[in-house]
Amino acid sequence: MLQYVNVNIDGAIIKATKGTTVLDTAIEYGICIPHLCHVPYLSDIGACRLCIVEHVVNGRSKITTSCTLNVEEGMVIRTNTERIRKLRRNLAELLVAQAPNSRAIQDIAVRCGVKEVRYPFRNEDCVLCGRCVRVCTEIWKARAIGFVGRGKDRHVDFPFGIRPDFCKQCGSCIQLCPMTIPPCNGPMKPGEERLCGQCESQMIVADQIPGSCVWCELGEGFACGRYA
Amino acid sequence: MSRLNSYRELEHLREQLRSKRKDITTTIMICGGTGCHASGSQNVIQTIQEELSRQGLDSKVRLCVTGCHGFCEQGPVMVIEPGNLFYCHVSAEDAFEIVHLTIMQGEVIERLLYTDPVSGRKVRTESEIPFYVSQDRQILSQNRGVDPCSIEDYIVAGGYSALTRVVNNGFSPEDIIAEITSSDLRGRGGGGFPTGRKWIECKEAHGDEKYVICNADEGDPGAYMDRCVLEGNPHLVLEGMMIGARAVGANKGYIYVRNEYPLAVKHARIAVDQARTLGLLGENILGSSFSFDVNIARGGGAFVCGESTALMASIEGKVGEPRPKDVHTAIDGLYHKPTVLNNVETWANVPSIILKGSSWFASKGTERSKGTKILALTGRIKNTGLVEIPLGTSIHEVVFDIGGGAVNGNAIKAVQTGGPSGGCLPVGKFDLPIDFDVLHEAGSMIGSGGMVVMDDESCMVDVAKYFLTFLQNESCGKCLPCRVGIDRMLEIITDITEGRGRPEQLDLLEELGDTISQTALCGLGRTASNPVLSTLRYFRSEYEEHIKDRKCSAGVCKALITYMVDPEKCNGCGVCLRVCVHNAITGNKKEVHVINTQLCQKCGICRSECKFDAIKVV
Repeated sequence: MLQYVNVNIDGAIIKATKGTTVLDTAIEYGICIPHLCHVPYLSDIGACRLCIVEHVVNGRSKITTSCTLNVEEGMVIRTNTERIRKLRRNLAELLVAQAPNSRAIQDIAVRCGVKEVRYPFRNEDCVLCGRCVRVCTEIWKARAIGFVGRGKDRHVDFPFGIRPDFCKQCGSCIQLCPMTIPPCNGPMKPGEERLCGQCESQMIVADQIPGSCVWCELGEGFACGRYA
Repeated sequence: MSRLNSYRELEHLREQLRSKRKDITTTIMICGGTGCHASGSQNVIQTIQEELSRQGLDSKVRLCVTGCHGFCEQGPVMVIEPGNLFYCHVSAEDAFEIVHLTIMQGEVIERLLYTDPVSGRKVRTESEIPFYVSQDRQILSQNRGVDPCSIEDYIVAGGYSALTRVVNNGFSPEDIIAEITSSDLRGRGGGGFPTGRKWIECKEAHGDEKYVICNADEGDPGAYMDRCVLEGNPHLVLEGMMIGARAVGANKGYIYVRNEYPLAVKHARIAVDQARTLGLLGENILGSSFSFDVNIARGGGAFVCGESTALMASIEGKVGEPRPKDVHTAIDGLYHKPTVLNNVETWANVPSIILKGSSWFASKGTERSKGTKILALTGRIKNTGLVEIPLGTSIHEVVFDIGGGAVNGNAIKAVQTGGPSGGCLPVGKFDLPIDFDVLHEAGSMIGSGGMVVMDDESCMVDVAKYFLTFLQNESCGKCLPCRVGIDRMLEIITDITEGRGRPEQLDLLEELGDTISQTALCGLGRTASNPVLSTLRYFRSEYEEHIKDRKCSAGVCKALITYMVDPEKCNGCGVCLRVCVHNAITGNKKEVHVINTQLCQKCGICRSECKFDAIKVV
């Protein structure tokens, strides 16, 4: 039998299933916490840090990722405070500067309220969210791809760089990759990067109601309540 | 030696060993630690040993190869007891003299005595050396007189008495934890988490199996405290672990030590084997119901594996990456079992607390930081090495009284504490006591205990850049703020040091640093921005100078400096002309030389070679 606990998320008392994470609970109840590396049916590693929330314990708030935080009775969570919005915006800015060539990343940036990017754009092909690695390891039990290297050299690769036989080319990794969704005006050329044109209209919404939904393209992957 | 079946047998063995050593009149303690080993102590040991056997002194003179004495700069060092005679910079050629003059005739060899750089006088005994006088060596002093490869030495010195105490029925695990808790011992690895609280949490956690781990994966640049303790006295650490295991109810322990510390790995292995032979590790230790065994796990040298969860992943055979720690490792640790992970120095403190009592330990230190701390004092000061001070000693005392002040008459500018996770404190903050909370408030931390002193020839922007480069290479790359954030910070700082800096970048740097410290996944990531944030806080003017004036007054940032010859000082000797590998210096003999700034690579060789101080950095 399912057990329930009461969680306070942004002031709303929510009946959450015991054993689920704060992020899952929030999405289920339509509270949008932006996230990238979280996929509902995969384990959570807390890599992108976008889903940070304030966890208030004894009056002191602790910043932690909601995807790795399990719900507990009487928990107090704040997902949309000034402090969180600022941190999230800085993280999204770092993210979009790495990979402006993805619609998904662009949308996340807009959703997090990024208006200008203060770093030079980089046009990387991978943001190391680890979705592909986890789907290959956990769902297909294939372990055909994994992380190689450390720090700046970290990248996703086949073992020793050669495609092994046990990679069945199922394509799950590609399906989950946020980098496969190009931004609306087609791929940007290096030096011409900007925040996506379409998003600017959405930005008005993001401006007026901070932390509101901008119908991000990755919604399906998010298992966002809007797409359910 | 056979297995010991009760604590009485251990005491008996101790008496036996002591009476065996009655005939020994003189003990020569030579440091065989890594520092002195690098200075060639191995040759000295060998020649002295040969000379002693040639003279038939083997039974009377004990040559003891010990762990680090701390004064690594003067290595190889040796202390001769009785007399407490201290010799430094000993070489193999001196061995003959030492044996014949000092050991046999009791004469002092003036040449080998230590010269105090401050007063310039020769110091005869170890206890008079200013470097040692201001210290309070509780752990490091136990390195003296104990050969790390010999369990007998440790037992003779009173080792494993704390263990006998806790396996006795009179001292329950609760008593151990109460003792540790009331001593207020805090983790020496960097976080300063109360050890007692960690142990209670682990003891109360449910689990059929529990673990204790000793973290000897020390990776801070310029720090080697844990290395010296584990190399110099592995049994002390083992004893601490046994007591901890007894307290929390663990039956298995690991020593996680870097493979780059070959001596530490070797000594730890020997110690574990010896303890197993004596039955101090294994089933039913000393005839009690307590069983405990220790394995050595070698780390591959990743800095991030010093973080608790990454370390545990590494022991489990997984990639050494941290995982979210919403539940403490004391409850969900190694193999998802309750685990106590403590630093080498923390473990080394445990036996003395049990033996001498928590009030003895708590009598040292400040209100919230008790006991002593080993610091690795390095940088631009006269005396470098390992120092152990009671917490609460001011930075000023450490740098000037123990360290002897700056070299070459330069002015000391700052001190960097706590390695890459710590920060830089300016001279104005030198009155601060070395205390976990005080330093944290000042924007730095004690960390594992690295202390790098910098003088006015160090550029603080360059220091921040150095640590960022280190962190960028050592970041595991799992989470975005640490991987990309540090990279971007380094990008900005590189811009600043290369003359492309913009004023608004300082605010961005601060904001980015703040973001990293609040959102990164693990403790290392959260403290990674400290070097930048603390230098920005105390040395903002230097950053501004780099940006606005495009100048580096310390003369370090190559893109912002030019080498030139001072025409008034140059007498045309031609030394610089000969040493310049880029042929950038021209000039005739006895005439003022000129540096071609186009060809000059700013390597600084000419400056260091010029005897007339005629090469200037502008």
